[in-house]
Amino acid sequence: MTDARHEWVGFSPRRVWMIAVNTLTESVRQKVYLILILFALVLISSASFFSQFGFGEMGGQESLEQLKFIKDFCLGAISVFGMLIAIVGTAQLIPNELENRTIYTILSKPVRRVEFLLGKYAGSALLMLVSVVMMSLMFGAALKFKGDNHLKMARQEVSRAPDANAAEDAMRQLQKIHAAVYDPDVVKALVLVFVKLALLAAITLLVSTFSTSMVFNVAVALLIFFAGHLVGPAKEKWRENSGAQFVLTLIPDLSVFNVADDMILGHAIPWLYVAKVAMYGTVYIVCVIAASHFIFADREI
Amino acid sequence: MDAIRTENLTKRYNLGWGRGRLLALDGLNLRVREGEVYGLLGPNGSGKSTTLKLILDLVWPTSGAAWIFDVPCDKVVSRLRVGFLPENPYFYKYLTGAETLEFYGRLCGLSGAALRKRTEELLELVGLTRARDRRLSGYSKGMLQRIGLAQALVHDPKLLLLDEPTAGVDPIGSKDIRDLILRLKGMGKTVLLSSHLLSQVQDVCDRIGVLNLGKMILEGEVNQLVSDQQRLSFTVQELPETGRAAVEAAVAAAGGAVVSVEHPQTTLETLFLDALRKDKRGAGDHD
Repeated sequence: MTDARHEWVGFSPRRVWMIAVNTLTESVRQKVYLILILFALVLISSASFFSQFGFGEMGGQESLEQLKFIKDFCLGAISVFGMLIAIVGTAQLIPNELENRTIYTILSKPVRRVEFLLGKYAGSALLMLVSVVMMSLMFGAALKFKGDNHLKMARQEVSRAPDANAAEDAMRQLQKIHAAVYDPDVVKALVLVFVKLALLAAITLLVSTFSTSMVFNVAVALLIFFAGHLVGPAKEKWRENSGAQFVLTLIPDLSVFNVADDMILGHAIPWLYVAKVAMYGTVYIVCVIAASHFIFADREI
Repeated sequence: MDAIRTENLTKRYNLGWGRGRLLALDGLNLRVREGEVYGLLGPNGSGKSTTLKLILDLVWPTSGAAWIFDVPCDKVVSRLRVGFLPENPYFYKYLTGAETLEFYGRLCGLSGAALRKRTEELLELVGLTRARDRRLSGYSKGMLQRIGLAQALVHDPKLLLLDEPTAGVDPIGSKDIRDLILRLKGMGKTVLLSSHLLSQVQDVCDRIGVLNLGKMILEGEVNQLVSDQQRLSFTVQELPETGRAAVEAAVAAAGGAVVSVEHPQTTLETLFLDALRKDKRGAGDHD
């Protein structure tokens, strides 16, 4: 046997991955997430039925309104259910590890604390990725199902047009509906929702590195979630106050991730904006995970 | 080389909010020799678990230091040689027995055929082969302790730290675990176990140390500590009543004194295990 004094256990991405996969498996097998996701899927798929009510007779403008409603409703549902999964899923990770004593069995193996923490976070991020992708696919299906109906009707309008002018109008409307159904901005909005959720999970993990109560973790994470949406207006209000500005910089500005409203209003979302906001989120996540590591590395278990 | 060595290991916990500090361990000098089974005994709160956690670098000493096979405990590399079973573990209850061992095996660098082989070996060793595909949420307390022992052994460490390995387990499960500890000793492993179940420790430990309020108050070889060198006992079969008087007279004539004469008693544990063994329907929930 080799002499342990001359051996070295370095940082291992493989161990991080193992812990992440284990965290994901554990979460997926807990029925609570499946039920949450299932509920979200049912709600999202029902959006196309809700939209049949209250919009009057079918026509070009009504079609666009209905598609807007589906987008608004589905992006909202993905954001809210994603937030629940991100906060509840992450808040329980470390308290559960302590309660089940599994943290002792892992950290008493040749595993570094930073690997454990990164693995737990990555597992949580994977759970959110899976949830967001599933909900997005359902959203896409609902949008396409409804959109195809409207496209079919719009095509009929074109073919039934009595004169050239009417045909041109109907054609323009058809193109607008097509653009609304196959809208690349939907993908951009979903990417930003995911980055926002990943940031929220990182903040929840940070809170759980110094607290042992899951309820406390959830409460603080929810508080930061709501505060994060108010940072933008607050910064405007206290523009002159440098102290307030400093405190507000510490809270992530979550409103920048919400592009649904712009999208509904028909404002284009440039890729550059998406890249900038995603970068802002990523830098924030790296800082929050680094802070979590400093606290966790110093915590007695 | 000692498997474990501690020098003046001291731990004070901050109680927080100005409530002062609690002295959990007070200048412990412990040496566990390679190949022995060492029992750390003491009442609740005497510092047993703290000692194990200090050795595993889960908490940090206020002063003093500890080594595993001469490697300082604060080095991650020291944990290549040690396996740990915590007190009352529950593990990941949504994983099956086999998945649990595969997860820990992967963490320790095993993969592919080697991992599968090790998993099967360990399930066999702890007698859980038939329960390999059952989720841990359906395991009994004794089975959880056994899967816990298996995960502690996954990287084939030379040293095992077991925190209250038989606490809360029924007598059959407890006997199984003690038999396992003896098998592990036979395989050349060193074992440090903490317990407050004294009679159980007596069967498996070579040496014991007794902790109270963070201080070691007694230490030594179990056989020497429990045997009374001043007294001698005979166990005699089929001695008629008249013979008894003759024996007593002989003892007195030789200068000794008969202190007590009684029928030897079996232990309640032996009686219990025998009764279950004779029950044709089997015993307990094993597998």
